Order: sequence, then structure tokens, then C-alpha cells
Amino acid sequence: MPTPAILALILVSAVLAAVLVVRPGITVHPSGKILAFGVLFFLPLFCLMAGMDSEMERSKSTAFCLSCHVMEPYGKSLHVDDPAYLAGAHFQNHRVPADEACYTCHTNYAMFGTFKAKFGGLRHLYVHYLRTDPRPEDIKLHEPFNNRECLHCHLGARSFEQGAVHNADPATLPAIKANTLSCISSGCHDVVHNVGTLGKMKFWNEGN
Amino acid sequence: MAQLGSIHRRLQISGVLVIVGLLAEAVCLLWSRPLAFVVLVAFGGLLISVGVLFFLYSLVSIPHSGKEHEAVAGKER
Repeated sequence: MPTPAILALILVSAVLAAVLVVRPGITVHPSGKILAFGVLFFLPLFCLMAGMDSEMERSKSTAFCLSCHVMEPYGKSLHVDDPAYLAGAHFQNHRVPADEACYTCHTNYAMFGTFKAKFGGLRHLYVHYLRTDPRPEDIKLHEPFNNRECLHCHLGARSFEQGAVHNADPATLPAIKANTLSCISSGCHDVVHNVGTLGKMKFWNEGN
Repeated sequence: MAQLGSIHRRLQISGVLVIVGLLAEAVCLLWSRPLAFVVLVAFGGLLISVGVLFFLYSLVSIPHSGKEHEAVAGKER
């Protein structure tokens, strides 16, 4: 449901609730009882669910993640002009939706993954408002990156299944699929955001 | 009459809680910051939930008195 529609519904609900507050006597009539049930039960809960859904969707956007000052270098790393930078290569080549770039890789592709990912985001708020923000280059993932998030898209893809390096050792591909060998382990796709080295990098200008 | 006044008072309290919760939600939807979601759930969601629960409680907590309702409805007519 689009945000303006939710806001309109909230406004209508608030006005109807105000009518009930000012004239509670209308509830002695059956129509007033129905109005009270709609305005004090159904509509507020519907507005709340719609609002939470809207906020949840908005929280998936790249702009939302990068609205925090501490995340700015991570946003910058998406524009590094070097295909070795995993996040930048995915963003610039639309291997992930550009408007949900952070969420696509950092969500959890399991049951309730979105909620788990967003619940994890609450820890960011806790650290930001009640603790001291670490330097961007010192930020670590809550838990090791699970290959499941990569395989959500790459599993079955020719470039992944028949890639020369993936098949150089017959044990490699099964190990990746079993998450015992990380995709971002040293010597593999280990340059991801690397925000500590951005100062030396050239950047892709999206407009050109 | 006292019961009717009591339920009306509870409806008013419930209505005010719902209105404040809805307004908080509206502000959060217009405020594009990561904290908005937390405020929406923790403040708006809490007020709306309490308002709705208070409304439901007011429905079940006062014994129904058909005569009072009829008397008031008759007066208003």
C-alpha cells in the first residue's frame, strides 16, 4: 500500500475517532456501535499493519541503509571502478537490484530472514545512540557471511557451477555449497567493501 | 446511567489513545530516518494496541443493561 494512501487512511481514522471522543453517545445506536468497532478496533490495527509493512519495505532500500553517516563509505564502495570489489561489481552490473543493494546481500534467505535481518539492524541503532560508533573500517558482521545468501542467486548458474576455479579441485564446489568454504574467504572473493582502501581507488561515475 | 457514562468515558480514553498512536504513526511515515521504524513500533504501535485493548476491555467489563440503552436512545429521539 503506498504511503500517501496509508496517510489518508490514518487521517480518516483519526477524524472518525475524534468524532467518537467528542460524541461517545452515538454508540447507543447500532450504527454507532459498528462505527466504534471500526474506528477503535479494525481501522487502527489495519493502519498499524500497513504502516509497519510500509516502513519494512522502506528499510530495504539502499537509500535507507546509507542514510546513516557511518554507512557512507560502504555506499561509496558500491561505486569503486574495480571489478575485484565484489559489492561494487554486483551493484554496478545490476546483479543485485540497485535500489535494494544492501538488503539483497545482507538479508537472511531463510524463514523470517527479513525480520531477523531487520532485528539485527536494531543493534545498529543501539550502538549508534547508546554506544560509540566504530570507525567504518572496523565494522564487522554479526556472524560470518553465509554462502546461502550468495547461492540464493548463483546456485545453478553456469558461471558458478562450471567456473574454472570452482572446479579446479573436485572438493571445492561441494564445500562451497555446504558453507564449509566461504565465498569471501581469503584468496577467493575476499575484496568486498574494503572501505579502508577507498582513498586510493578510482570511482565509477554513474552518469557517464 | 452510571454504567453508560462509564463506558462512554472508556471509549473516549480509548479514542484518545488511538488518535495519538495514529498521529505518531503518521509522523513516522513522513520522517525518513532509521529511528522512525522504532518510534512507530515502540510508541505508535504501543498506543494503538493499548487503545484497542482498552476498547475491547470496555466492551466486556461492563454488564450489558438493555434498559439504560433504550432509555438514552429514547431521550435522544
